[in-house]
Amino acid sequence: MEKKWKKLLSGEIGLLMILMILCVVFAFASPYFLKQQNLLNITRQVSIVLIVAMGMLGVVLVGEIDLSVGSSAAVAGVACAYALQKTESTFAGILAALAVGALIGLLNGSLVVYGKIPSFIVTLATMGILRGAAMVWTNGKPVSNLPSEFSVFGSGYVFGMIPMATIISIALMLLFYVFLQKTKHGVYIKAIGANSEAAVLSTIPLAKYKLLVFLFSGAMAAMGGVISTSKLLSAQPTASSGLEMDVLSGVILGGASLSGGVGTVIGAFIGTLIIGVINNGLNLLNVSSYWQQIVKGIIIVAAVLIKKGEKNK
Amino acid sequence: MSSDTILSLEKIDKNFGGIHALKGVDFTLERGEVHALLGENGAGKSTLIKILTGVHKADRGRILLHGKEITVHDPIDARRKGIAAIYQELSLIESLTVAENIFLGNEPTKTPLGICDREKLYRESDQYLENFQIAIDSRKKVSELGMGQKRIVEIVKALAIHAEILLLDEPTTGMSKAEIDILFQIMETLKEKKVTMIYISHYLDEVFRVCDRATVFRDGQNVAVYRVAETNMNTLIKAMIGKEIRAKDGNGRGNAEYGKVLLELCEYRTDLMKEPVSLTLHEGEILGITGIVGAGKSELAHSIFGNALRRSGQICYREEPVALRSPADTKKCRMAFVPEDRKSQGLFLEDTAADNMLLVSLEKLRTALGTVSSRKKKEAADEMGSKLKLSPLKTQLPAKNFSGGNQQKIVIGKWLSMEPEIILMDEPTRGIDVGAKSEIYQIIKELAADHKGLLIFSSEFEELISLCDRILVLYKGKITGEVLAEDATNEKLLSLALGGTMDGKEMEEAIER
Repeated sequence: MEKKWKKLLSGEIGLLMILMILCVVFAFASPYFLKQQNLLNITRQVSIVLIVAMGMLGVVLVGEIDLSVGSSAAVAGVACAYALQKTESTFAGILAALAVGALIGLLNGSLVVYGKIPSFIVTLATMGILRGAAMVWTNGKPVSNLPSEFSVFGSGYVFGMIPMATIISIALMLLFYVFLQKTKHGVYIKAIGANSEAAVLSTIPLAKYKLLVFLFSGAMAAMGGVISTSKLLSAQPTASSGLEMDVLSGVILGGASLSGGVGTVIGAFIGTLIIGVINNGLNLLNVSSYWQQIVKGIIIVAAVLIKKGEKNK
Repeated sequence: MSSDTILSLEKIDKNFGGIHALKGVDFTLERGEVHALLGENGAGKSTLIKILTGVHKADRGRILLHGKEITVHDPIDARRKGIAAIYQELSLIESLTVAENIFLGNEPTKTPLGICDREKLYRESDQYLENFQIAIDSRKKVSELGMGQKRIVEIVKALAIHAEILLLDEPTTGMSKAEIDILFQIMETLKEKKVTMIYISHYLDEVFRVCDRATVFRDGQNVAVYRVAETNMNTLIKAMIGKEIRAKDGNGRGNAEYGKVLLELCEYRTDLMKEPVSLTLHEGEILGITGIVGAGKSELAHSIFGNALRRSGQICYREEPVALRSPADTKKCRMAFVPEDRKSQGLFLEDTAADNMLLVSLEKLRTALGTVSSRKKKEAADEMGSKLKLSPLKTQLPAKNFSGGNQQKIVIGKWLSMEPEIILMDEPTRGIDVGAKSEIYQIIKELAADHKGLLIFSSEFEELISLCDRILVLYKGKITGEVLAEDATNEKLLSLALGGTMDGKEMEEAIER
């Protein structure tokens, strides 16, 4: 019985407790923190990170990494904005972004699978290439003058109170939950990360699944780019820089192992929320952004240490 | 004790758990000789080597070096005492040059600050290589060398620390003929310099080429010592097997009835094989493939399953050619593969036994929405568990918690759940206890009775003799013989596996004499 508790603590329940503790601390520190509007605001703030984290989780589960998501989001955002300007169609804008994102993912995946280059190196390179591409494409200037109805994804509300971005991110998360946790594909993806040799010898098509998770990661990064473009009603070539670090922090905090095979959607969700709550709480407390970075780093290390300690007991 | 004895072991005893690996072994090495250690797998050769190099400690017995008793704490201590081993797995650092490897941890320095004297490093390395007339550039990176050259560098490295006793464990594995010649030439030079060598090899022809004496091990005992010049291959084989000849009535499965041809290899060749092989597998047939370590059994198994490059030839499934480019392609001929190393190649150790067993048959457990039904999953796991005699409660435990035998059953269960027609098994009972062994034999026989075709790759002759209908013997990547189960004996298989040509009758006569 005791063992079962420890197992729960080291899993999602433990994460949830860390999240609660953070909420309690911030609630005492700032009276505004627990207000409904602020809580919904947090979900809107984390929506981009959450969406991109879903794609990243797939990549991390097969034992790879995608550092290019921030730059991919920027390029996809620019593609979205130009498509919107040309066609005035929201649908065309989103489609253009997703197509660019999927293509980028496919390129990353192909270099990893067929080029046999470690994904860290591939995506480190494409991270730089894509950021540069976004700059070249826009001459370093934001792409503005977008149709105003496009702002619904980033700043719109459903029922007058629930942010549209929150709804989109939760919907995508549920889709990923079913895909990764409930279908055979999810099982195969985890198997590849857990023991790639045994997975191949169990007739799992490794190349296909690696390409697929990179493609998903690219598409989800693009979705993040769409929302951030919509939020500002303008595509910034410098948008989402450093996004990969927030996303990875959330995924790792959520219990995923960078060596692959271990990680859950719910875990990544809570991990992302923890990062979001820290950002929001520290903002409310008027902590300077310099200090915020330090505090965030310390909390991540502490949270992972606590979880490790529980597991080893 | 003669004055020329450099090393002697007295009454060495070693237990591993319940296994008595060495039973009071005596062994002496004369200075400057090449001494072969012979014996079947598990006879105690490697245990002896590991005790000499300090990897294991003997339970009882003494080691005398130059007549003085010594204790060897670990391999580094052994090297300090002048005993160096060259294992099958190399210990060179690929990204360093040949010379840097030779002097690793022992670099010549030139100032009190300890700056490496690179000039001296390369000069001395070149000197060493020249002494043995080896044409390897000492400035080359080790990663640029071939397998055989690497092994030679490894030997030179051992000599650089002035090893007196050199242990060579299967040194010719992966070497070309030319490289083997160079190795033997080096060994001759070493002999002149009075370096003593212990030589372990499965290839008896090599033993006759380079060794002076040979000690034969069987069941953890030193059964005989021969002067190589005064003996012959048959005598050595006889000593390795012992006198008992298996009773024949236990052989084979009687008159099994075969169905149609399931799998055919025509002129089939992998990258590692010298000559193409052809074989045919029928419904309901158990075909054994054997050979000693390095004969190419595992390579052949992996390549049939699409997990290695095939150089030429054709695979036919039910008389239609099929292209198996990767293991995922084998689904179309309902092929299953139980690999040799269950922990690294067969199992997902952290996942439950149930998850492991259902991995390849998840399609069957789908709901209308395409998700995996947890109810169907539980039913399927319970069913497979009861088939393999694993309790339903146990199937929910992670695979790492199971014993070797049960782990092997889980790997087999993984494949049974997809209802295969062709099943390849590589060393199906390696390292598992007798009870689990007989259960696995039972499963294999039931599969054959159910018209499945089985290819069993194994180096245990008795296992094949009692299980198979036919046995193919591989030697250095080619088939040297095909033996029907009713004619198969240990002696015959070993003789073929060692590259001999003697048939069973001659062998029996030799033993009777």
